[in-house]
Amino acid sequence: MADVVLACEGLKKAYGDLMVLKGINFKIEKGQTKVIIGPSGSGKSTFLRVIGLLEPPTDGKVFFEGQDVYSSDMDLNMVRAKIGFVFQEPSLFRHLTALDNVKIGLKVVLGMSEEEATEKAMETLRLVHLEEWAHHYPAQLSGGQQQRVGIARALAMDPDILLFDEPTASLDIELTWEVIDVMKELAEREVTMLVVTHEIGFAKEVADEILFMDDGKFLEWGPPEKVLRNPSTPRAREFLSRLLGGV
Amino acid sequence: MSDILFILEFAGLILEGFIMTVIMTFLGLAGGFVLGVLSALGDVYGGKFLKIIINAYVEFFRGSPLIVQLLMFYFSIPILTGIKWDAFTAGAVTLMLNSGAYQKGYFKGAIEAVFKDQLLAAKSLGMTFKQTLMHIVLPQALRIVIPPWTNEYVSLGLSTSALIVIGLRELTNISKSIAAQTFRPLEVYLFTSIIYLVWITVSLKVLDYIYNRVRIPGLEVTSEI
Amino acid sequence: MITLSDFLFLLQGVPVTLSISLLSFALGFIIGIPIAVVRQIAPLELTVVAEGYEKVMRGIPVLVFMLFLHFGLAGIVPIFKDSFISSVVALGLRSGAYQSQIFRGAINSVGRDQMRAAISLGMTRTQAFRHIILPQAFIVALPGLGSEIALLIKDSSYSFVLGVLDLTKYSDILRKATKSFIIPYLTAAILYILMTFPIANYLDRWGSRLKTKYGLR
Repeated sequence: MADVVLACEGLKKAYGDLMVLKGINFKIEKGQTKVIIGPSGSGKSTFLRVIGLLEPPTDGKVFFEGQDVYSSDMDLNMVRAKIGFVFQEPSLFRHLTALDNVKIGLKVVLGMSEEEATEKAMETLRLVHLEEWAHHYPAQLSGGQQQRVGIARALAMDPDILLFDEPTASLDIELTWEVIDVMKELAEREVTMLVVTHEIGFAKEVADEILFMDDGKFLEWGPPEKVLRNPSTPRAREFLSRLLGGV
Repeated sequence: MSDILFILEFAGLILEGFIMTVIMTFLGLAGGFVLGVLSALGDVYGGKFLKIIINAYVEFFRGSPLIVQLLMFYFSIPILTGIKWDAFTAGAVTLMLNSGAYQKGYFKGAIEAVFKDQLLAAKSLGMTFKQTLMHIVLPQALRIVIPPWTNEYVSLGLSTSALIVIGLRELTNISKSIAAQTFRPLEVYLFTSIIYLVWITVSLKVLDYIYNRVRIPGLEVTSEI
Repeated sequence: MITLSDFLFLLQGVPVTLSISLLSFALGFIIGIPIAVVRQIAPLELTVVAEGYEKVMRGIPVLVFMLFLHFGLAGIVPIFKDSFISSVVALGLRSGAYQSQIFRGAINSVGRDQMRAAISLGMTRTQAFRHIILPQAFIVALPGLGSEIALLIKDSSYSFVLGVLDLTKYSDILRKATKSFIIPYLTAAILYILMTFPIANYLDRWGSRLKTKYGLR
């Protein structure tokens, strides 16, 4: 078996009586890009947060590089440091410049020295084409720029996988491209990515697999051309015709 | 008011009172700062029991007059505990407790202003709770809190005049005895008022300067807290 | 525990405390609104005077102001020989400065577009203020006014220093009479809380309800 970075078995998540994730099996291998689509409220974001270890599952197992995260005595924070997360809202630390936003995890969590962290952070900001904005505060950046800083912040930690939770959903259409372009570049560099998005063009171009989620389960999955062109379930057909209908 | 200069005879005494007023203000603010930050953190992140204790403390000190609190602590603590204490200690401790109750409100608002999405982002980077507190929450909360905190400085500074009821020799108390001694209350209280006014005005300017030095674009408080 | 007769004795101070607080609030209200309006629309010289008034009132302890009126100014204005009146006037004049600031904030939050809309209907600025801005501003100001009344109830205790027979004074008398060093003050503190808490809370909730109803911020 190839290197499985992140996987889960029988994953369930409930909030009170509300069952949001209803038993999910999933795995993603090194270098893969997988895209999750599905109607809002289907549990995509919750799935990402649970498999990204930001929330504990109600039931089921999460594996990081083959190890059962919750039953072994792994330091959860150290695992989180190896899983990059990009949120729907840019979620930058408002009291820190773009550069310091990228540096803080390197210094505080990974214990890098000031010089090391600065060098690494600048290098990463260059990857998202923001080196000239390094010394600006979040409030002085556009939404797209903020989101790219968010990507750099996650990327600088040298994570084994990057999770994206609808990274362009809160952006104006013309700012969407600059973020999507950066994500495409990452895919070309074979960064392992798990992306929740409605950007079908992106999914078609870079995804190794598209998964359609509905009502807390994956209803179907497969290569983009199959899932997008020839969905087998009525729910997926309906969702895709609405999503693509406007194009 | 022909010879207002008679005041100068008492310059030393007035200065003494003023220094006492400033010392008490700073002691109250510093102690209240620690109490305020701790109770705010307790109220935001603590368990149910802790929250009840903190809110009872805050309600008591914000709901009743400082004068009554001063009288109560000054007279009762030696009886209840056997610890002998003077007006200075009793006054300082009461001011700290009183100011802490008010500062708690400001800090709570500021801590809550650091939005949940940033806490999640810190978690995703692998930060522990303590790291998040030290590197993300407090640096923002302490900046956000400065403008409302300024009000507490002014309010507590002026409230120190209440210390007169336990006989502490601060500016108002000293003025009262000078007024009684000279039979010139009009001039004496006018002069005292000016001292307070100048002190508060200068302090506000200094705090404003500090705020402008540490302030970060986009971190202003948009709504009242 | 406090005996019933001691408690009833203490209660005698409550009406005095409430009278001082409510009278000074009324005085502050009468002063506060015009100052707020002056700082909003009057010519510059008047604005400077109003601003100076606020600065002074916010920069000296209300106790010093009380002492100034009662012991100082009483020589010129005999009415201040009455310690009750000195207390009410000092608290009221200061409250005027505080309330002016509350109203000013409220007027600003109601906004310029309301003013413009009123003027476009043919109202004069004064009419617009009276019929459009102030009624809305008053709703926005309610929570602030609630805290101001609570503050006055607490600060009315400064009149104790002038010898007014308010709740604090009664508790002090009771302490001397009973030689009980905590119960009288603690009971008084609780009575103060019972007065301040409901008023502040009620106005806060009433204000939020009206704000929601009229869609004000």
